[in-house]
Amino acid sequence: VKVASTEVDGRKVFTVRAFNQGIASWLERLPTVWVEGEVTELRRQEQWAAVYFTLKDPESGACLAVQMKRGLFDGLRLGLENGERVHVYGRPVLYEQRGDFHLRALTIERYGLGAHLAALERLKQKLAAEGLFAAERKRPLPRIPRLIGLVTGNDAAAKRDVLTAITSRFPPANVVVAETLVQGPKAAPAMAAAISELATRGADVVVVARGGGSFDDLLAFSDERLVRAVAACPVPVVSAVGHEQDTPLLDLVADVRASTPTAAGRLVVPDLAELQARLDRVRSGLERGARRVLERHEARLAASHERLRRAPRLALERREARLTTAHGRLLALSPRATLERGYAIVRSGDALVREPPPAGTELAVEVAGGRFGARSE
Amino acid sequence: MTEPSFEEAQAELERIVERLERGEVELEELTRLWERGEELYRRCAEQLSLAQGKVEELARRLSREPGGTEPQAP
Repeated sequence: VKVASTEVDGRKVFTVRAFNQGIASWLERLPTVWVEGEVTELRRQEQWAAVYFTLKDPESGACLAVQMKRGLFDGLRLGLENGERVHVYGRPVLYEQRGDFHLRALTIERYGLGAHLAALERLKQKLAAEGLFAAERKRPLPRIPRLIGLVTGNDAAAKRDVLTAITSRFPPANVVVAETLVQGPKAAPAMAAAISELATRGADVVVVARGGGSFDDLLAFSDERLVRAVAACPVPVVSAVGHEQDTPLLDLVADVRASTPTAAGRLVVPDLAELQARLDRVRSGLERGARRVLERHEARLAASHERLRRAPRLALERREARLTTAHGRLLALSPRATLERGYAIVRSGDALVREPPPAGTELAVEVAGGRFGARSE
Repeated sequence: MTEPSFEEAQAELERIVERLERGEVELEELTRLWERGEELYRRCAEQLSLAQGKVEELARRLSREPGGTEPQAP
């Protein structure tokens, strides 16, 4: 590239425009490179053609302006935030009119899990400080739910596992399924909307299920929007995200956390057969109790009746015995017993004879066997 | 005078039996009390057998329903 210059007093002088053009064309010959740094001052607006941020070297503080076409940036669906470490693939460009130098980014990749984890940890601390994960916020599940809301992807496994577990334990269960995205940048708002939608439609418990996935796959389950939607949900939420190590924040905010979709299904409904058996036990207990009460009354009544039948005779016999005794004593007092022993009562007229009477007195003699007349000598 | 309840009748019957057993009863009262006792017994026995009939009927009805009552979502 030939850049025009003029000679002034023996100096070779470039116009600014020519100089910038020269630098720009020289820069264009440089290869496309990867640059590592931390995202700062990220600016993105719908009406702008490009997205701007400054790539910063966290150790030295060195800065590099970066531009990326907005369509390209949005297509990556990274959801980049300030402070994240990235690798930017691009070429150096000089904006000739202003002489500004920047890196034109062709693609961006998150650099390492470390940055992700740190971002996640910061979010976790923030939400924990707000009390969103507190144990006293946890609500108990309904014993027999009227309507179960299920938020799941259209991947068949998780949905089928939850539904199978529910219907095998409790066939009459009502479930309404909301299929949403469960992965990618739109998943979290979609799941958040589904949760409140299900609660509005009368679900009294909501299950959010996903059958496992890689760290990146499960990022949506740690999204702040989803976490807040669960916290705001008027009915209890069960999380059922199969994961191996890192607990998604959904698990922390959920009222109940199930290890797998199948476990979640078992948690939200009672076992109908067991319920039935318990009811039957209670019922037969009732029946036994009723019979026992009757039997006790019957025995008590029978005993009373038996005593009632005997009592009057006993009372009479006792009286009779008393009468006989009295009679015996009465008898013992009368002279008859004396006569029986051979004594006699001698009367003269009406008077008892206690002294020897004059000879020839008419006497009446009473002995045990009867009376006879006699005359004294 | 309203019909005495089962418990009232049973309690009166038991009081009568105790009085009779203690023998503290005028002779003229003896047969009257006995008759009253029998009357109370008859009433209690009737009510009891009525209750028994109801229990048996209920038990029969429940055992006819296969698998017991269907639990309903409230």
